[in-house]
Amino acid sequence: MRPRRFRHPWNARPAGVLALVLLIVTLAGCASTPRLAETTQDRLPRQLLLDNVPFHAQRDYQCGPASLAMVLNDGGVDVEVDTLIPQVFLPGRDGSVQPEMLATVRRHGRIPFMIDGHLDALLIELAAGHPVVVMQNLSLPAWPMWHYAVAIGFDLDRNELILHSGEEPRRVESFRRFDATWARSDRWAFVALPPGQLPADVRPHRTMTAISDFERLKGAEAALPAWAALAERFPEHGMAQFGLGNARHTSGDAKGAIAAFERAVSAEPELAVVWLNLGLARRGQGDAAAAREALERAAALPGHWQPHARDALESLP
Amino acid sequence: MMKRICRILSPLMIAALVLGSFSVAAAPIAPSSDLITTQAALNAEHGQADRERIHEILARDEVRDQLVAQGVDLAEVEARVAALSDAEAAQMADQLEQLPAGASAVGALFAVFVILLVTDILGLTNVFPFTR
Repeated sequence: MRPRRFRHPWNARPAGVLALVLLIVTLAGCASTPRLAETTQDRLPRQLLLDNVPFHAQRDYQCGPASLAMVLNDGGVDVEVDTLIPQVFLPGRDGSVQPEMLATVRRHGRIPFMIDGHLDALLIELAAGHPVVVMQNLSLPAWPMWHYAVAIGFDLDRNELILHSGEEPRRVESFRRFDATWARSDRWAFVALPPGQLPADVRPHRTMTAISDFERLKGAEAALPAWAALAERFPEHGMAQFGLGNARHTSGDAKGAIAAFERAVSAEPELAVVWLNLGLARRGQGDAAAAREALERAAALPGHWQPHARDALESLP
Repeated sequence: MMKRICRILSPLMIAALVLGSFSVAAAPIAPSSDLITTQAALNAEHGQADRERIHEILARDEVRDQLVAQGVDLAEVEARVAALSDAEAAQMADQLEQLPAGASAVGALFAVFVILLVTDILGLTNVFPFTR
C-alpha cells in the first residue's frame, strides 16, 4: 500500500514541464524581429538619436503625463508633469486612456497625429525629427501592463530602438521585444506637432480629421497654418483646399477663402460641398451672379448637400 | 406649501429640459447663413448619419459624469471633456471601462510572475528590468 501513495506526485512533473515547454514554444513562435521594407531602409540613417528630447521620470502610474511632457517640451511647449497630471490622469483607473492623451495634446496647442501601426512608420517619423509616443503592453494580454513611452532613436545595425521609458532615459529595446509589446496595443502611436508641421507620411483623410478636431477646440486662426501646410502638400486634393478655405473664411479672409474653394473645384469638380461654400462665400461678398453660378453647380450634384444648395439658391436676390 | 411649489415647478422643469434637448438635436445642422464647416463636410463624407452625430454630442454629458465618478478634479472636468473630439467622446462614453489605461503596473500573482519571467527572458514581454 505505502509505495503506491508516493507514486502519484512523481507522474505530474514531466507532464507539467512538457506543458510549460509547449506554452513557451507557442508563444515564441509569435514574435520575431520585424523586417523593414527596403524603401524604408533607404530613407533612414543607420543610427539616430533625438537627444534634445527632455526626459521626465514617471512617478507611480504616471507614464502618460510624463510622456506627454516630454513630447510637448520638445515641441516648445513649456508645461510640467505636475500640470499635466490633473489634465490626463484618471484616478479611478490608476492610469491615462488613449483618447485623453490625444485631447491633452490639443489643449496645449499641438496637433496629435496618429501614425501607421508598423515599425517603418515609427522610424520614418523619428528620422523626420519627431519623437513618437507609443503605447505598449509590457506584459501578456491576460495580465496587461499598459505603458506609454517616447521613442527617440534607433540603431539599424543592432536592430534596436531607443526610448525614454518609465524611470529610464534612453532605454534600449531590441526591435523584436519592442514590437512584441507594441503589437499588443495594436501598435498605437502618435506624434504631437505644432500647426504648420505635418507628419512625415501623411494620409490626407486622417490628417484632415486631426486638424479639424484641433480646429474645433482651438479655433480657425490657430488651425490655419496646419490647413495651409496640408493644402500645399496636396495641391490637387479638393477637401484639403476646402479646409484651408473654411479656416481662411472664419479668420476673416473671404477673398483668400474664395481662392482656395476655386482651386478645390478646379481639382475635383464633383465636390458639391465645395461648390456650395464657394457660392455662399461669393454671396457674402455681394457677388450674386458668381454666387448663383457656383450654387447651381452644387444643386446639380446629387447627395447630402443638394437640399442645402437649393435652399441657398432660393435665398439669392 | 413645499408640495404646491413642487407641483407647479416640476411641469415647468420637464418642459425646460425637453426643449433644451431639442436644441441639442438641432445643433449639428449648419445655419443656412453660414458656410458648411469642414467638420460637417468630413462627417457627411464619412457617410455618418445625423443620428450618430446626435449620439456623439450627447456622449459628452456621459463622459462628464464618468470623469467625475473616476475622481477627476471638478475644476478640470469641463476642459477635459471639451478637448475630446466627437469620436473620442463617443469612444469614452461607450467603452471607458474597456479602454487600456497606461499605468505601467501589473496586477499579477506569483504564478503569473514565473510565467512573465520566462516570457521576459524570451524577449516577448518587458516586465522586469533585470532580464535585459
